Amino acid sequence: MSLLLDKVKEVTKTLVPVVVLVLIICFTIVNVSTDVLVRFLVGSVLLLIGLTIFLWGVDLAMNPIGEYMSREVATSKSPVKIAILSFLLGFLVTVAEPDLLILGNQIEDASGGFLGSALIVYMVSIGVGVMILLGIFRLLRDRPLNRFMAITYGLILVMGFFVSQEFLAIAFDSSGATTGALTTPFVLALSLGLSNVKGGKYTEENSFGLVGIMSAGPILAVMTLSIVSRQKNIHGDAAEYVFQKGIIGPILEAIPQIFLESLLALLPITVLFFIFNFAKFKIKKHEMLGIIRGLVFSLLGLVIFLTAVNSGFMDMGRIIGIEIAKMSRGLLIATGFVLGLIVVLVEPAVHVLGSQIEDVTGGYIPVNLIRVTLSLGVGTAIALSMVRIVVPAVKLWYFILPAFAVAVLLSFKSNPIFVGIAYDAGGVASGPMTATFVLALAQGAASSIETANVLVDGFGVIAMVATAPVLSLMILGTIFQRRKVVELKHEAEETSPAAVMPITLSDFNHDCLIAVANRGYAEYIVDLAREAGATGATIFHGRGTGDHQAVLLPIVNIELQPEKEIVCLITDIDISANVASHILEDEQLAEKGEVAVYIAPTVALIKDLSQN
Amino acid sequence: MIDIDTIFFTIVDRGKANAVLHKARELGATGGTILLGEGTVQSKLMDFLGITETRKEILLIPASAGLDAVLHEQLSEAFKLSKKNKGIAFSVPFKRWSVDESVQEHNISIDDERFTHCCIFTIVDKGKGMDCINAARAAGARGGTIIHGHGAGVPADSYFPLAIEPQKDTILIVSKKDKAFAIKSRIYADLELDKPGNGIIFTLPVSRASGLFENKAEERKGGSS
Repeated sequence: MSLLLDKVKEVTKTLVPVVVLVLIICFTIVNVSTDVLVRFLVGSVLLLIGLTIFLWGVDLAMNPIGEYMSREVATSKSPVKIAILSFLLGFLVTVAEPDLLILGNQIEDASGGFLGSALIVYMVSIGVGVMILLGIFRLLRDRPLNRFMAITYGLILVMGFFVSQEFLAIAFDSSGATTGALTTPFVLALSLGLSNVKGGKYTEENSFGLVGIMSAGPILAVMTLSIVSRQKNIHGDAAEYVFQKGIIGPILEAIPQIFLESLLALLPITVLFFIFNFAKFKIKKHEMLGIIRGLVFSLLGLVIFLTAVNSGFMDMGRIIGIEIAKMSRGLLIATGFVLGLIVVLVEPAVHVLGSQIEDVTGGYIPVNLIRVTLSLGVGTAIALSMVRIVVPAVKLWYFILPAFAVAVLLSFKSNPIFVGIAYDAGGVASGPMTATFVLALAQGAASSIETANVLVDGFGVIAMVATAPVLSLMILGTIFQRRKVVELKHEAEETSPAAVMPITLSDFNHDCLIAVANRGYAEYIVDLAREAGATGATIFHGRGTGDHQAVLLPIVNIELQPEKEIVCLITDIDISANVASHILEDEQLAEKGEVAVYIAPTVALIKDLSQN
Repeated sequence: MIDIDTIFFTIVDRGKANAVLHKARELGATGGTILLGEGTVQSKLMDFLGITETRKEILLIPASAGLDAVLHEQLSEAFKLSKKNKGIAFSVPFKRWSVDESVQEHNISIDDERFTHCCIFTIVDKGKGMDCINAARAAGARGGTIIHGHGAGVPADSYFPLAIEPQKDTILIVSKKDKAFAIKSRIYADLELDKPGNGIIFTLPVSRASGLFENKAEERKGGSS
């Protein structure tokens, strides 16, 4: 199975439920014109192609770029340089985000031109820059993420009392708008790179959380703007929505604009990287070619993906919203829930986050479990958004503020690695699919319900989608913390004595020692081995089952395979026994680390090939 | 094929290791450890598109002499390892060390007639894994599996107290014993392992293997292992 097929399969698996559900709705409940239906189908195919190419490009380009940039940031000797670099990174990736400009224009209209869109774009970008700066310092100083986020959201909560409801919605929406299709994978890669360079015990926890920290920046920035400018109300009405006609026409029309926007969004990262490559990295030509190819793929994939979503999915979402809202309010809420459940899985960043979780935890956290939790969170969020549209008395802050308060509280009880994943999930879930399809659905619904205002109720949908996964994943993290250990019964295994081989030719100059222990003990094992005379070591990260027990997740009873670290040492035959015994004799390690040591003689070519 | 305590290695497609481990437990294994790795693909188109890897899982199961034979037989059948590209399994003689072990005896030799294959481990800096596999292929190997890991921390001179953990690629190549020397030499030369810090290479004997397609590789070099 090649990686290409793997990616196609992965994307197809997430896309098919959306297509099937929409088709069912089209053929049973809502009467949709053929144009829109065909365009939706063409869009689905394009989306499949675009998303696959995009995810490829991200693998090829974003990860290495994130890695190089983060090494440059972290190994710097001056804190001022670290600060300037990290601020620049945050500022530049945000300022070029097309979604943010759209939001800026919407706010400009809604505030009657009082708040210019340029002002908003720059304020939000500065907000993100500052948060990324703080986030990187937090990571490098090993300050706990849960406390950091508790302070940040505490501040947001306090400011929330001084801000009008409408601006609360806009503030949270702008956070969803900044974490776009390109920004999120880049920041995820940056976070991963930084934590790898940083090393130490918390590598895994530190691999996540930067997207979460970053998405607080726009909230704080917009709230500050609102308080300083005393702008409280938004007014005006959304422009009349015009459905596009034809099949191929709208698709082709959308391309130039989207191409320009995507190029603009990709440019800052690329330019910054090339400047650094010229001055510092000087990457080999072969590797550079791979990265350039990745960047081209990212751009191409993003353009196809966004074209598909904008021209194929937006009208469809709107029609479904309008028609179902006319029919029954209960049905609207139910449709919102089910659509939310499956649409989120098509978001590009969800795929990127999933594979990063798998890689970082060595497969310990089942990616499917993360997806299900994410789905439930977003499904609930969209259902509640529909409730908000249907019942005007229900306000946005009823959901958002308590949800964040509970999430912050849970972050102290949750499994540490989930804290980062949960905060990241907010930014990850609110991507281009939410900004187009889901938003169109909500606006469509609002336009056929008299008490609703398309503009006011339109704001806040992204905010809900960005909030719910934080809470749902934090709950999953808390459940993970309560996993239980079950003893397994094994029949006593007969250990037949190993056959003894006569020594024929002793070309063994070294032993290969493999020590398997619980996560977090690898460094300790290396220290012990060094004490006993060993030199280097290589550490792998995996998952495994213990000798006589199974670890189960409560409620769902899924068997987990705890994370393990495997230390591979090559030692001289004379000292290998010493090293092994020294590791096993350590009480702390034997008790908590569940260490097991295996030894095999090996032929090592270290410096003496010519004599061999 | 010798009966001896081993670590039983299985390399299968990503996602399948859980099923293999489950089956192995039914057969009497007490536990296992799964690592994520990448296998190789050989196709010009894939190479052009930048896809040179397939995602694999490496499963390590400590097995006693008796269990090792059972695992090979039963798992090969259950997971069709004898068919191409379904995965491979091999056993490396390993001894579980315990504290009360007093003297260590080298009671096996890699030159023993009964070891028909061997497993070559190469540890190099991250990113050089594919170079290593290309070198090995030039010397007649079919493919390899790359596992990402990191070296032990080295304190770095920077503003923040970092212990830089150099990222490493570890490459596993299973080959016939007679080819091993050529492969090793080629890797050693191509990746300049004679220079300090460039990496190390070592070989472990393989006491039993399933699902290898050495001979077919002579006729048609391709596919993944």
